[in-house]
Amino acid sequence: MAEHESWLTALFNDHLAGLGQAALALVGAHAENPQRPWANFITMQVVVALVMVVLFALMRPKLSVDRPGRLQHLFEVVYDFLKGQVEDVGVHHGQKYVAWFSSLFLFILFANLLGIIPTFESPTMFPPVPLGCAMATFFYFNIAGMREHGVLRYTAHFSGPVWWLAPVMFPIEIISTLARPLSLTIRLYANMYAGEQVTLAFLGIAPLAVPVAFMGLHVFVSFLQAYIFTLLTIVYVGGAVAHEH
Amino acid sequence: MKSKTFLMLALLALATPLFAAEGAAAGATNWVAITSGFAMAIASAVCGLAQAKAVAAACEGMARNPGASAAIRFALILGLALIESLALYTLVIILVQVK
Repeated sequence: MAEHESWLTALFNDHLAGLGQAALALVGAHAENPQRPWANFITMQVVVALVMVVLFALMRPKLSVDRPGRLQHLFEVVYDFLKGQVEDVGVHHGQKYVAWFSSLFLFILFANLLGIIPTFESPTMFPPVPLGCAMATFFYFNIAGMREHGVLRYTAHFSGPVWWLAPVMFPIEIISTLARPLSLTIRLYANMYAGEQVTLAFLGIAPLAVPVAFMGLHVFVSFLQAYIFTLLTIVYVGGAVAHEH
Repeated sequence: MKSKTFLMLALLALATPLFAAEGAAAGATNWVAITSGFAMAIASAVCGLAQAKAVAAACEGMARNPGASAAIRFALILGLALIESLALYTLVIILVQVK
């Protein structure tokens, strides 16, 4: 992993070290170097969050049914796409969950794309960030299932369709449900990390034109991985709230 | 011609002790690195075969039934990403294990 601090992290460490230490102390964690508690991936996540907040803050007052602006059109496309995916997968009362799916999708998309800008890094290139997204999704779909069915019935549905298969099905289902955040994390992290490493490798071999092709591939993979993460979240939520008909 | 080829191969076989001397001089062999090379090659190869099957089935499906292109394309992209992730699991193990 890159030990080198980006200019933004150095800025945070120089001026906001106390804030970083206080935030870490809130959860009982320690920084490796207490004078410089901010890590690259934390500051990059702050950048992504700020970009999203500013974007939506700029768009919100101008939302209009009669005369939509360009930003509104763009986000309507994104929203319709995600709502279409939710309907394709067939989530029961899917409308309730679209807010989470779109927040997740936009966060991961912007985080992936941030690495393309020269002095910034994708926060999703570091294992804790995809892990955080995956754990949030894990809690989200389990809590959605529990709210839909009740805690006992939701836990009971891990036992499979027939009662006499339950001793076999229950451990298998629990393990496969626990494997979901693991696979989401590794898929996103490995794609982003490998994309950057491949670009760096070719930067050492053929400096001028070839890394551009790999950066283009990395942009495509960024969109694809954000989409796949969101799609799998939709499928998991759909599975958790499904009603047997 | 055949006897010349055998002569060349015999000379090459005689040369292998040289490599052993170099390897021993360099220190203990890094088996993790060697194994990870093979592991990644096998993972990528089988992933390539699996994705080839997926793409071939998708192309044939879209050719037979152009109206279902959107649904087939959706299933194709989803399948490709899931198969790709299996090769990536191997890569992550390599990244974690190889010094």
